[in-house]
Amino acid sequence: MQNKNIQNSKRYKVRGSELIGICKDAALKINKHNADEFEIFAASSVENEIEIFKGKVETLSFSDSIGVGIRIFKDRSIGYAYTTVLEENSIEDCIGNAVANARITSSEEYNYLPVEEETVNKKKLIDDRALFHENFLDYSIESKIEMAKKLEALTKSKDARIVDIDSVGYHDSIYETAIFNSAGFCDKYKTTTCLIYVSAISKQGEDTSTGDFFGCAREPSRLDLEEIAGKAANRSVSVLGGKKIKSQRANLLLDQVVSAQLLGVVAGCLTADSVQKRKSLFEGKVGQKIFSIGVNVFDDGTLPDGLSSRPFDGEGVIKGKTSVFEYGYLKTYLYNTYTARKDKTRSTGNAVRASYRSTPEVGISNFYMEPSETDFNTLLNETGSGFYVIDIIGLHSGVNPISGQMSMGAKGIWIENGSLKQPVKEVTIATDILSFCRSIKKIGNDLRFIPASGYIGSPSLLVSDIMISGK
Amino acid sequence: MIENRLAKKILNILLGNGADFSEIFIQKRAFNNLRLEDSKIENSSSGYELGCGLRLWVGDSTFYAYVDSLEESKLINAAKILSSAINGTSSLKILDLTEAKSSYVTDIRKPPGSIQSDARKDILELADRSARDFNPAVIQVTSTLSDTAEETYIANSYGSFSSEKIVKIFLAVNVVARRGKNIRTGYKSLARSSGYEAFDFKNPADLALEASGIAVTMLDAVGAPAGELPVVIGPAFGGVIFHEACGHGLEADAVLKNASVFKDKAGKKIASEIVTAIDDSTLEYRWGSYKFDGEGFPSSRTVLIKDGVLQNYIYDLRTSKKLGAKQTGNGRRQSFRNVPFPRMSNTFIDSGDEDPDSIIRSVSRGIYAKEFAGGQVDPATGDFVFGISEGYLIENGKISFPIKDTTIIGNGPEVLKKIEAVGNNLDFAPGFCGKNDQLVSNEVGQPTIKVEKITVGGIKD
Repeated sequence: MQNKNIQNSKRYKVRGSELIGICKDAALKINKHNADEFEIFAASSVENEIEIFKGKVETLSFSDSIGVGIRIFKDRSIGYAYTTVLEENSIEDCIGNAVANARITSSEEYNYLPVEEETVNKKKLIDDRALFHENFLDYSIESKIEMAKKLEALTKSKDARIVDIDSVGYHDSIYETAIFNSAGFCDKYKTTTCLIYVSAISKQGEDTSTGDFFGCAREPSRLDLEEIAGKAANRSVSVLGGKKIKSQRANLLLDQVVSAQLLGVVAGCLTADSVQKRKSLFEGKVGQKIFSIGVNVFDDGTLPDGLSSRPFDGEGVIKGKTSVFEYGYLKTYLYNTYTARKDKTRSTGNAVRASYRSTPEVGISNFYMEPSETDFNTLLNETGSGFYVIDIIGLHSGVNPISGQMSMGAKGIWIENGSLKQPVKEVTIATDILSFCRSIKKIGNDLRFIPASGYIGSPSLLVSDIMISGK
Repeated sequence: MIENRLAKKILNILLGNGADFSEIFIQKRAFNNLRLEDSKIENSSSGYELGCGLRLWVGDSTFYAYVDSLEESKLINAAKILSSAINGTSSLKILDLTEAKSSYVTDIRKPPGSIQSDARKDILELADRSARDFNPAVIQVTSTLSDTAEETYIANSYGSFSSEKIVKIFLAVNVVARRGKNIRTGYKSLARSSGYEAFDFKNPADLALEASGIAVTMLDAVGAPAGELPVVIGPAFGGVIFHEACGHGLEADAVLKNASVFKDKAGKKIASEIVTAIDDSTLEYRWGSYKFDGEGFPSSRTVLIKDGVLQNYIYDLRTSKKLGAKQTGNGRRQSFRNVPFPRMSNTFIDSGDEDPDSIIRSVSRGIYAKEFAGGQVDPATGDFVFGISEGYLIENGKISFPIKDTTIIGNGPEVLKKIEAVGNNLDFAPGFCGKNDQLVSNEVGQPTIKVEKITVGGIKD
């Protein structure tokens, strides 16, 4: 390959103070306008993306971007604007747009910045030491390319039936952000993250199958390439020769990744915003038993290894740990400041900003189900006969979070007498969100997180009596 | 946006270390976004982005970088850094840039800049009133209106440059209806590559009525059947089945990577002979239309399948070079931050000659799938799913009960062969397609079609 040593991330200079400076400069300009309150959010990211195909670099991309988003509060109305151009007149235009936007949004009594008396946690529970790993900066582009190449080769070597690796890639980013508001909040943090993934195509006779897996961490040394390669290979070859089975109701054993995806659906219905707008099945259900067994679910923005951990949320509220379900009972929704005021409670620190392009919305951080002591083989035994679901497809089109209906494609292996038998494909599984919660019978001990819109974790789950549609 | 002189200079810096190809992509975009929920304007935001993406090739490798700026010094610096990453053997240099031509011409009458904020608000309030007045069961309406005004400039080491002004309008209405414990939703969107004259094409109030109609009708939905059944797929958004099940497999990057079931099938019969399918990025003002693709190549009409026989794949520049085929102008990208690759534009199954009602009458027991929540495909196997958001049972040749949201699952190449009827009522619907983390605008389309059998993921045996 013809790439020389370039853009070594060692050269990365921390820019938190620069971001604060940008916020303060913008604040001075806002003072000329007749705003009641304001908030400036600045974020920068430096990213690296590598795709490998057949042992060669297919794509190598670098990006370095920065943007500012401004919220203007006027007469309890909020206007928003952002810009990626930070020249003086662009910032002026951005402020002007935000001020103009505040004129057309409706006025709401709870539209004002968070104040200290409202916060649950007064002191930050996690900081840059956990979120930003200095070691990350030691990795050169070349070493990252080598990692991705190694993952490609490793995955290919796992099974003779693997004929192609259709994608293998590495992506990392250094993200820094600062929030400055007129109520006196001014703080920043920075994070490092990396993600590596591989997808393997396998063939046996006429049948083709694909399987993928990934790993993510705060620094490359935490990525377990052996494990990722093994899982991707296994997910591809284990469903080779899969057949459609006849339609029936059966027990399902859900792989951790599948469980986490479904738990993510549940999480989406627990934001106070969706409840208050009458778009959640959990409306009016706080204090009720939702799971039939003693499930504990947390949203914890302070997990040391959680990729969604932050010292404070998208509007500067200090993050903590929220117990969402305790022993199967719904304890609370997830709140930002506005929705909390509406429900006469306190923010759980769940104001989430996807980027400077959007205003803070309510969302999850590290959202996970507490594992039990039960190992996978015990779960397998207890399933008796049923369907071990390795992968689901069509989650975004097959789940309606408002009506609660769930119907999605699935592939995996049929279980008989507690052991894995025949591969299954081209079937669907269908239930609804509340029934799904009730049908969980047993929780595994193998908690695993997946990056989604947040960082969601679940152990393998045994669920009973779910409709499978096939022949 | 940038002078050809500077573009040339940058292209040559990128070529300086022996690259085989270089490209500069400049984009300026202004967005406005308005959201109404609970009958209140909840969010009003504006955005401004300006930047430049730089790309070069050496051998089979692509190198990419972008800057959020058009400052000459920053562009030159970024080009130097990117170029220093490689050590190639070509000795290309470009001397002149010639403007590329496109046959697609637009006339924008009401650009976003000419629209007052209050007029935007009126559109959403009209949609809200219309949706709520339809039926008291409607408990929530969320509508969003966005507009984008964009300018692009693309130049490459073939000595070609193009520029384009693009305006896009998008209105979506989401309705929630509730009766007792049943909660159902309805969704409709209007999206055009035009100015606010889009609303002369369709009134926001009518769009909202359609969304409410779906939500309220679905309140009576019964559990969908489970198992293999004949499926009649409705016109317009029904085309998402072709988009997912076949279109993605026809994108040449999947073909190149051995990850398409349609590899080596050109000239072969892959569908029933009543199927003709087309990708056309020149359809006037459609959501997936453009003058130039994300690599500066003119838009075009590409026949993918004719009378059941595979004619062509969907190419970007890189895959057309690699596979020795003709460009189809489908190299698209989400923004200057992204590398382009082959993407569909407006992709549809062309009109046939059957009367849609007689297609329904021909089914004794099956499903009529009218609207979809989207879908997904694995191009390597052709296995697809899609979620039916508005569907009905067909009993004895008649549409009977609405059915609850359900997923259908099948295999693209198999379904193509099982298409038994194609109606004469071609229509289109807009959407967003995500691939490799990039979203682009598409339209899907088809007339009413009938598939012999597909697995329906319901809850009743």
